[in-house]
Amino acid sequence: MKNTMVKAHEAWLATSMAAFMSAQTENKQILFDFSNILFRHFNWLENALIEADIAYSYDRDVIPVKVDKLSDMLANIVQRFDEIVSLLDVKEENALDYRISTDLAYMKEVLQNMEDETVTAFSLERTFPGVELTEEATDALTLFLFEETYKEYELILIYNYLKAHSSDAYLNRIFQILIDESLFHFKRFGDMGAHMGILGVPRVVMKELYQVEDVVKFLYDGIDEELAAKEECRKLSEAVAKDSPELEKFFNFINRQENYHIALMKDALKHFEKIANV
Amino acid sequence: MSMDAQLIEHMMNPKNYGSLENPDAEGIGKNPENGEKVAIYIAVGKDEEKPYIDDIRFQAIGCTTTVVAGSMLTEEAKGLNLTGVQNLVEATMNLLDRLPPEDAACSEMVALAIKAAVDTYEKRLAEKDYPTITYQVVNSCVVKEPHAEEEKQYEEGK
Repeated sequence: MKNTMVKAHEAWLATSMAAFMSAQTENKQILFDFSNILFRHFNWLENALIEADIAYSYDRDVIPVKVDKLSDMLANIVQRFDEIVSLLDVKEENALDYRISTDLAYMKEVLQNMEDETVTAFSLERTFPGVELTEEATDALTLFLFEETYKEYELILIYNYLKAHSSDAYLNRIFQILIDESLFHFKRFGDMGAHMGILGVPRVVMKELYQVEDVVKFLYDGIDEELAAKEECRKLSEAVAKDSPELEKFFNFINRQENYHIALMKDALKHFEKIANV
Repeated sequence: MSMDAQLIEHMMNPKNYGSLENPDAEGIGKNPENGEKVAIYIAVGKDEEKPYIDDIRFQAIGCTTTVVAGSMLTEEAKGLNLTGVQNLVEATMNLLDRLPPEDAACSEMVALAIKAAVDTYEKRLAEKDYPTITYQVVNSCVVKEPHAEEEKQYEEGK
């Protein structure tokens, strides 16, 4: 089961990458929907491991994604599905494995019939469609996308792990909001990276980051990181403002979203204080 | 960080990122100022009794500059004998004052982690269970910590 969870994690990421690199709206939508389903599989398998008291981590293999055609990536994802199915115990009475296997069978068929596309997500062109940025603004945007795509992936895993190991409904509501928010940012930044021709898979997150020993310290640090992210958004918004009012507005929009994350993390801190004082 | 295609390639696909299943030694480079760190894992091969880096991996809690430095330096270190690795570390340390402070701290952290791994390996030749060595950077990454005071109070109150 541990290996199945790792493979589901890898399949989720591989499918997200395929969605980023796809430029055709219908394909992209389907791939994002499938990646969301795979993320849920990953979560359900994780939960089953916790229930069975089996130790696990979010370690995984490197995921090669540099392809010229979408069909090459889809073939790779189909192989991943086959591998997951080979690890499942598919019986109707085994609800989770049965559900995953039927999902994968359907998704495999859709992927095998998906219209092919030429992939430009690795062109290194570093131009944004319809926008002419200065070299300085292009460098700033490039660095931001690498830093923040990884950061959002890291946050998804951290909050996911915290949620999986908490039975506190108040905290879990906060963690779920933060997971959803990071999934959205991850999707937008990954998409932008693909548009710029600099798509990369986020690196493996070190265990000590998500296996948080001191949640209060983590939340304090997290608030500082959110403040730093706001500052990065502000700087980037300024850097691109002259050449692209659309990008300027986008980064202001992201910047303002961080305010609510900070408020939620402060709520979580208050909640911890309340628990400590009971 | 000014960008060329080679640099962006290291950002997109960092070389040697990850860990080794059964490393001969590990080493840590740490920035106590902001909690960033680099872990290096090495597998040492023997060539006519002269040990060399047969395989090397790194993991980082840090920024993109740290990951790029890790990708580049581990590529350089692969295949070198242990004296060659120490020379690489020394050469990197000698270049640090030409870099902006935040880049210097990141490169120093990677170089020190590599040194720590090689030093750990050498210590383990005499003492099998010698603990993993950690070295701390001297260069400052100049990170503001707006919540430092509250955290200090929290630490004191624990």
